[in-house]
Formats: sequence, structure tokens, C-alpha cells
Amino acid sequence: MSSTTHIDQRPANHRSVPPTTALALAYRVVLAQLTSRGRIVALTALALVSTVAGFALGQADADLEAGVRLISGLGFAVVIPVVSLVFGGAAIGDLREDKTLVYLWLRPMDRWPIVVGAFLAAVTLTAPITLIPVIAAAVLAGSGGGLVAATVIAGLVAVVAYCAVFTLLGVALRRFIVWGLAYVLIWEGFIALGGAGVARFAIRKYTRSIIVDRTGIDLNLADFSQTTGIVVPLVAAAVALAVASWQLARQDID
Amino acid sequence: MTALPPPTTAVLPPPSAGPEQQGMISVREVSKFFGSVVAVSDVSFSISAGVTALLGPNGAGKSTLFRIMCGLTPPSRGTVEVLGADPRTDRAVRGRLSLVPQQDALFDHLDALQMVTVSAQGHGVHEPTDAAMQALAHVELSDVGSKPVGQFSKGMRQRVKVACALVNDPEVLILDEPLTGLDPVQRRNMIALFHRLGDEGRCVLVSSHVLDEVARLGSRVLVIAQGRLIASGDYHDLRGLMDDRPLRIRIGTSDPRRLATALVDRELITALSLDANHVTVDTNDADAIGRRLAPLARDLGVRLTEVHPLDDDLESVFRYLVEGR
Repeated sequence: MSSTTHIDQRPANHRSVPPTTALALAYRVVLAQLTSRGRIVALTALALVSTVAGFALGQADADLEAGVRLISGLGFAVVIPVVSLVFGGAAIGDLREDKTLVYLWLRPMDRWPIVVGAFLAAVTLTAPITLIPVIAAAVLAGSGGGLVAATVIAGLVAVVAYCAVFTLLGVALRRFIVWGLAYVLIWEGFIALGGAGVARFAIRKYTRSIIVDRTGIDLNLADFSQTTGIVVPLVAAAVALAVASWQLARQDID
Repeated sequence: MTALPPPTTAVLPPPSAGPEQQGMISVREVSKFFGSVVAVSDVSFSISAGVTALLGPNGAGKSTLFRIMCGLTPPSRGTVEVLGADPRTDRAVRGRLSLVPQQDALFDHLDALQMVTVSAQGHGVHEPTDAAMQALAHVELSDVGSKPVGQFSKGMRQRVKVACALVNDPEVLILDEPLTGLDPVQRRNMIALFHRLGDEGRCVLVSSHVLDEVARLGSRVLVIAQGRLIASGDYHDLRGLMDDRPLRIRIGTSDPRRLATALVDRELITALSLDANHVTVDTNDADAIGRRLAPLARDLGVRLTEVHPLDDDLESVFRYLVEGR
């Protein structure tokens, strides 16, 4: 084996990594880790169910309310949250579970670029896999431009918010998939329907509010303005990423 | 077992490098608890440039201690300083140390050059690809092509991990069982690399649970067992102690009683037990048994069918060091 540089000859200025470099590195590493063919095929197939349903609705000449209920009940209740959970939770969670997180953690860099880079990688995969089929469903349902525009806006908000919250779950909890499914299926699916108070802690309430605001179709527990429906989830996303960064700096790394 | 007069036991000097000494790594009264489990208990030492071996059986607390020294987990009690800083909170010091983790974890979709380049970029190394190629050359992996590391053998993966640790030119290099999975030639080369790094003024701390590896790693040894630092010092002192410690040997023979009587008469054993075809003895001088047993059996006219050391494993060595038995 060849000899190494003598310690005294080493440059002294390579000890700190700028946040932008750290973010780009984390983004590339996590994106490559998340990109497995099986996972993408399975989740795309799930998302295409909404497209098929939208096509069927359009063929049946269904009205706007049926289109709104389809997009809200399938796209925003199942497709976007579940795909976001898989990618958002795995963004840091997979690195931690397969013990490769040490290769990012034990480096002279801040923690927040690691979290934000991982979050952006999750968004990069989640957005096209969910939004294209769900927006296609809104188009194919034939319910008009209002639903399509609402789906675009609410979809972007939902992807950002869910990915951020589930990135936090991946940092903080070992069984992030179980807890994430519990949040989507139990909290948002049942408990949040029980009253306005608990519904404030459900991302779905805000995305439904955006759709209701733009289409005029009345949905249960969707009484916020469009502005509130956009701003609150994005603030929640920022808070989730901040907490995730704080948590990552303090947790034990294997 | 019939006990003969008790053997005198000796242990290595207790850890001598105390908290008052400031080395490149300083560990002061460190303990680590996981619930009710004590993984590391009141450990103090200080080490400087050169190669130091951390020896201990599996589960002794070596990896936990390494994780504490790298800041991957905080100590429950005590303090750790690496290059004068807390590795848990000081961002800059993380660029001056490297860890080869015990776990066989790599970004399996990357090839070796990409993997080491990622490590270089994470350290903010200038010209990371060049640095990665240089690090791969150190571990003789320059020509592995674009095959993903997920398809590498255990030994190759181990060398990729070492290359990742070398790429930032660290002043402190902590290697957790780095020789696992390497063939004898690779082990020899890797140990030579560690010595070169130590000779260059770096602090190289290598863990192992294999005595023979430690023999080649260097003369400075820290011995840890059951979470406690039980000895530190020169390897040759430890080796001498190993050779002198009481050893239990099972001897298969055609006449156990006669052979046992002869061994007692010659003061070669300290305790014995008999069954129909065996005599099991404790001895403080295994070398003497080895030299004199066959001639003695020949002189007595008894046949030997088996000579088998019962506690020549590392666990028994540590039991002896910890408990003096």
C-alpha cells in the first residue's frame, strides 16, 4: 500500500462544508438511495388507480361534486399521503436503519442541510409519481378547470407538507411507516373527522379547504380559506424540518 | 476438582494513562448506560500519536466506546475530548477524525470511487475525486472498475470503508474491527498502513477481539472487558501474562491415576480431576506440560490419547484478567 501525505503537509482549510454543498450532497445520496425500481413501480401503480377512476368518472358524465369527492377521497386521502410516507419516511429513516447515516452525520457540516436535502429528494420523487396521475384524474373526470387548478395547488401543498412531516417521522421514530400509516389512516381518516379542533392537526383538512375554496363544492371539515389552506401546511412543513434537524443533531447514530 | 495450593495470579498494571494527561484522545471517567444495561463503566485513558490497540471480547463495550469518542452517542457520565474538542458538538473536529464503523454498511448502489468521493465531499476535501482515487490506492482498490460496492466481497467492502476514512487525511483515525474479512496478505498490508499512519503523527486506534491481530498492531494496548478498562500498557507484558496464566488441560490416557500422581510429584499442576479415561489438570506452566508430558508418559508406560486445552480462548483470557481465575 502506498504511503499517505504526512500530517504536517495537509491543507488546513478543508475542515468545514458549506450548507449548500452539504445540502446538494445529501440530496444526491438520498435520491439515489430512494430510487429503487420496485418501489417506484409499486407506488406509480397505486397512483394510477386515481387516474383510472377519473377516467371512469369522465366516461360516466359525472358531475363536479363526484369529481371533487374522487380527487379528495382518493388522491388526497390515500395516494399523496401514502407515497409521501414511503419516500419522506425513508429519506432519513432508511439511512438510519441500514446504518449508512454515519457517512453523512460524522462530517463537518450542519444538520439542517442533511434534513433539507433528504426532504427535497423525497419531494423530487413524490411529486411526479403522485401529482401527474392525480391531476390527470382531475382532467379525465371532466369536471372543469376549477377542479384541475385546485388539484394542482392543493397537490403541491400536500406533497410538501406530507414529505416534511414524514421526514421528521423518519428521523425521530424507528417504525416510521407504522406511525405514518396510523396518522394517515386513523388520525386523518377517522379521528380528525370527529371535530374541528382535532381536524386542525390534519393536513387533509387544509388541502380539502383549498379544493372547496376553488370549486365551491361543500366537503366535510373543509372550512378554511384558500390562503389558510396553503400557508398553514407550509409553515407546518418548515417547523417539521426544523424539529427534524434539531432531533438529528441530538440522537444516537449507529 | 481437587485443588492443590492456589496459583499466584498477576494482572497487567491498571490503566496508567489517567485523566491528567492530555492526548489526542482524552476519555475521562466515561460511563454509558442503555436503560439498566451498563455498556461502558467509568473508563479513563488518554492516547496520543501512533497505533493503539483496543482489545476486548465481543460485547465488551469497544464499539460503544468508539461511538462515544466519535460523538455518535453522548456519554451518560464523564467527558471525551478529541483534539481538545467535544466530538459530539464541535463541527470542526469531525473533519479531523475518521471512523471505520464495525457494521458492514455502505451506499451499495455506488461504485468504490463514487462511495469514497461522497465521503470526501462530506469532509469538504478539495478535489474530492482525486483524493478518493488516492485513498483507494492506499487500500489497493484502484482497479475495481464501476462495479457497485453492493457486489463486493466482505474484504473489499472493508477496504472501501478504510478508504472512506482516509480520504480526509484525518489526524485521528478510529477503526472498529477493520481487519474482519480480510485475507492474510490484506491484513498484513492493512496493518503496515496503520503503522505508517501512526508513524506520521496520527492517532490510530484499532479495536480487535483477536489476540494475534493485536500482537501485530502495536505495542500499546488498552484492554476492555464488561465495559471496564481493565488494563493498559505494553502488549508484550500482556502476552507474557497470557503465557503465564493458569491453563486447564484435558489429557486422555490409558492410566489417568498413575499419570496424575506423576504430574503432582513433579509439581507441574495446581489442581486435577479424574475419570475413567482422562485426567483434567490446572497448570501455571503450560510450556512445561507441553515439553515434559510425552517423555513422562513414555517413562511411565502409559499411553496418551488426547491433550486438549480447555480454556485457551479469548473469553478465558479476559476472565483471568478481570477476575484473576
